[in-house]
Amino acid sequence: MSHTVLNAEAMPYLDVSDPAFSIRSEAVADARDASWCARTPYGLAVLRYDDVQKLLRHPKLRQGSYRWPSHNGVTGLFARWWENMLLSQEGDTHARLRRMANPAFSPKLIGALQPKFTELANMLIDRFADRGECDFIAEFTEPYATGVICDLLGLPFEKWRELADIAADMGLALGVTFKQDLTTIDAATRRIFDYAEELVALRRAEPSDDFIGMLVRANAETDQLSDQELLDMIVLAIFGGIDTTRNQLGLAMATFVEHPDQWALLGEQPELARAAVEEVMRVRPTITWVTREATETFTYNDTEIPQGTTLHLFSQSAGSDPSVFPEPGFDIAAARKPHFGFGGGAHHCLGHFIARGDMTEALKLLSQRLKNPRFNGEVKWLPDSGNTGAITLPIAFDAA
Amino acid sequence: MKITVDMEACLLHGQCVIAAPEIFSFDDDGGLVWVAAPDEGLRDDAEAAADACPEQAIVIA
Ligand code: HEM
Ligand code: SF4
Repeated sequence: MSHTVLNAEAMPYLDVSDPAFSIRSEAVADARDASWCARTPYGLAVLRYDDVQKLLRHPKLRQGSYRWPSHNGVTGLFARWWENMLLSQEGDTHARLRRMANPAFSPKLIGALQPKFTELANMLIDRFADRGECDFIAEFTEPYATGVICDLLGLPFEKWRELADIAADMGLALGVTFKQDLTTIDAATRRIFDYAEELVALRRAEPSDDFIGMLVRANAETDQLSDQELLDMIVLAIFGGIDTTRNQLGLAMATFVEHPDQWALLGEQPELARAAVEEVMRVRPTITWVTREATETFTYNDTEIPQGTTLHLFSQSAGSDPSVFPEPGFDIAAARKPHFGFGGGAHHCLGHFIARGDMTEALKLLSQRLKNPRFNGEVKWLPDSGNTGAITLPIAFDAA
Repeated sequence: MKITVDMEACLLHGQCVIAAPEIFSFDDDGGLVWVAAPDEGLRDDAEAAADACPEQAIVIA
């Protein structure tokens, strides 16, 4: 980092770039005890609940990954989309785009999808229940997360594999091999935009009140959402909705396998499913940090933070901060303060009603139908930092 | 129309300020302020804000 932070020598250091680094390690907990903030190779890491909460909505901070493509020396289709989509925007432009998108993500519209979530979850469980085992990622969370997006877009479930593959190829852009993978990434981006254009053409011909219909209406009835911005938003919903939900539900199952009494409790009291989603996201958020950048120099907690400094707000370590969660153990029946698994402030996840709705439904049905889930082979994990989760999660269970 | 915000639930995301800037704003200390009895003409905006609030803290009567 070229920016020098005053007082930095006094701060603990965390090497988040080390492949063996774990955001749930003792080292992070010790750093959190010692200081509100740690140095890392990529800037600062904010560790405590109260500071994450305050900095998520600090007026001197903006979302911090907007420069990711140019940082990697990348231009092209993906880069153009990334730099212009909602998450990369701030201020008036962000507010305008968010206002235009809100109706498509409203709880009323999403509530209407609930029966589809139920149907989808049951259909997937039916496919493996009798076998008494499955790879929970390949056979449940991935088709479920993608199937939900198909429902949202009005696509038949059969499209899920294609959509998941496109999203996975686009997702390579978030990795260290961004530049090497650019041809694959831009080809996937082209295909996802083709999809979006097709969906828009359909709704223009036949207006409707569904997700795409609401966005098409904002484009047609106001001068506040251009044709390009309309497509960019649809692409963001596909890109932002699949891996997140797949990983978060995998983390939920892994957490419950480690806490069989909690799974049994959920099975007996399915009305706890909503609280269970929140509790999983507190102890095991898939997005373990969100990134912010200082738009001007400011002082926080007696520390001068120079303009351009990158801050990682650690939702993971905030969610286990002992000053707010004195009894941090996984307990779906406990009353808890809110977690930061959906971020917060102006960029708070726009898809959270969808994600909360579909994950609640999934956990409710799974806990009814799969009893005593246990690991059944080697679990393969993404690194335990950044966006995390299981890649394969073989489980065995007793079918109810 | 009357607007109340459950300040126990509110986490100051400011989504209401984005959705309905004529009703909701932040004061200089970062606290949420709002027009408690806005004109009926702002009902659509108020409802958009209530829908957009991640904590569902806004009640319109
Ligand atoms: C469990 C699933 C999900 C998790 C954990 C999650 C998490 C997040 C987080 C942490 C952010 C904030 C990023 C930041 O501040 O830098 C975010 C933003 C966003 N999410 Fe989600 N998300 C999930 C599902 C979804 C779904 C299903 C959709 C859409 C269908 C979606 C759409 C968005 C959008 C559009 C934004 C950008 C909002 C803005 O910049 O104003 N997310 N999400
Ligand atoms: S959107 Fe809801 S939580 Fe956020 S500031 Fe407004 S009332 Fe509070």
